Amino acid sequence: MDVAAQQRASPATGAVWSEDRLTGIWYIVGFAIAAVSFTFLTFGAAWLLSHRNRGDVHKGLPYESGIDTFGDTHGRFGLSFYIYALLFVAFDIEVIFIYLWAVVFRDILLGGFVSMLVFVGILLVGLAYAWRKGVLTWR
Amino acid sequence: MTALSRTWGRLTLPGKIVFTLIPLLAVLTAGLIAFIIVLGGPIWDLILANLWFIRFLVAATIILVITIPIAFLNIYLEMKVIALMNLRVGPDRVGPWGSLLSVVHGLKVLIKEDFTPTGADSIVFTWAPVVTYGAAVMTLLVIPFAPGMAGQDFNIGLLYFFAVGGMGVVGLLMGGWSSFNKYSLLGGLRSAAQIISYEIPLTLSVVGLLILAGTMSLNQIVMQQSGWFTDWYVFRQPLGFVIFFIAATAEANRTPFDLTEADSEIVAGFATEYSGMRFGFFFFAEYVNVFIMSALTVVLFLGGWNAPFDIDALVNVLNGVVGAVIPSFHIATPFSIALDPGSLGIPLLFVIGLAPLIGTLVLAAPFYLVRSSMRWWVALIIGFVLFNVVAGGLTFAWAYVSFDWVAGLVWFMAKTFAFVFLFVWMRGTLPRVRIDQLMGFAWKWLLPAALLNLFVTAAAVVIVGS
Repeated sequence: MDVAAQQRASPATGAVWSEDRLTGIWYIVGFAIAAVSFTFLTFGAAWLLSHRNRGDVHKGLPYESGIDTFGDTHGRFGLSFYIYALLFVAFDIEVIFIYLWAVVFRDILLGGFVSMLVFVGILLVGLAYAWRKGVLTWR
Repeated sequence: MTALSRTWGRLTLPGKIVFTLIPLLAVLTAGLIAFIIVLGGPIWDLILANLWFIRFLVAATIILVITIPIAFLNIYLEMKVIALMNLRVGPDRVGPWGSLLSVVHGLKVLIKEDFTPTGADSIVFTWAPVVTYGAAVMTLLVIPFAPGMAGQDFNIGLLYFFAVGGMGVVGLLMGGWSSFNKYSLLGGLRSAAQIISYEIPLTLSVVGLLILAGTMSLNQIVMQQSGWFTDWYVFRQPLGFVIFFIAATAEANRTPFDLTEADSEIVAGFATEYSGMRFGFFFFAEYVNVFIMSALTVVLFLGGWNAPFDIDALVNVLNGVVGAVIPSFHIATPFSIALDPGSLGIPLLFVIGLAPLIGTLVLAAPFYLVRSSMRWWVALIIGFVLFNVVAGGLTFAWAYVSFDWVAGLVWFMAKTFAFVFLFVWMRGTLPRVRIDQLMGFAWKWLLPAALLNLFVTAAAVVIVGS
């Protein structure tokens, strides 16, 4: 709590702030390394402990409930997945802006409210267009 | 004994080596620790000079290791609670009430063959569970378990949580794509579509809370909710709470939104081709996710580690009421019971040392005296068990009152596992929804509702603020 308060109070005073921020980043990186190495250590232990046999050609085939596979395995899939991804990118970037706006909202009150209304309104026009086009209905 | 020797005979040679090495390593580690303690002047200096690194190692180890019992507990709860809801017995063989069955499941997954299909992209295939599990575990870094017990208290904690937690979907996509299987591909894409759709209402539903809190640090959000339970954000953001909980259910792939694992439709989804430990880590990540989503709900909306009552206010009321009768009565707040063994003196310490013996005898005496048929040693055993229960209870009460992190951890875990139970309850009760209902609900109902919640909160803050 102290660190966070310090950071918000004096963003411009340099050394202490950037050092704290750096420690946080190293914490994340170090923890990611720790998590990945934990996983691979467990894989290694499982590899040492487990049985393996080569089997015949059917063992390596894609599992399709018992029958041999036919047709293209990396087949086609619906376009709607792609459209949902597009919508997601638009709204997720919006969310980052809204988060920053929400944290400082008590300082900007009415002006902030109106500008966010306009910002979200533009995005809602896009959502309404997608809705009208029937994209939001799964087919 | 025969089971043990049979298992030993079945092990591969590397397995035998590992099982010989593990006890050896344990003994060596214990010896090293004893060595450091006994003659460790310079070693202590080295450790103290690198304290931040030691702290990091300890925190990382604790957070990684704590996921294992959490996942085992979740799996056991799921098996047992759903069994009881279906009027079945459920696990009852291994350990008391079958509670060790999930540990056995874990060991079984560990010694199963870890198979890669012929057409699979083996590198991506291996990394997919690592990414999913890593994303789940890394979010634990910012969860405040108790006062002063958080991996890191970032001032962008909530944003970090959503950013890192969102990485999990990449792992599912990787697993689905690299398996070289139609059902895996469909399952991966389907889960990706579901998770990214529900990510939007999930993140937007807490914006109202952020406006009220004015910070993204999870620790500060918890601190703002201290006091009575009416100070919790769930009472100021009821709509946000409902949206958040529904979206969190979908994010964690739980029933009624578990289309990722709809085995009647797409075999086993993205995990169809997985086996052994790589499958185990997908499963592991899922149960850790359930815990994390419950924990985040508790932190944001239900006061985190705060008790539902304000103990200081209660003590003040007690002071006022009793103080009116007895003027000298006063309990200082915040109150704690300090134990200093050095101030007690040798005779009192001697009495405390004899407490187990005296307590056992005192608690055993009534049983022996009242029931004449009871053997003396049965009465002694009952007395000893009772003494341990009483002593454990007293120690716990003392720790609860004296250390705020004990009290905080107790409340945090109680609330979080209440939510885990709720997730299990929903799985035992609700049927799975259709995929078109699922996607339509996220975009046509939850997203507008989350935006409505946002603007209503903002308007209220503007009106109150000006």
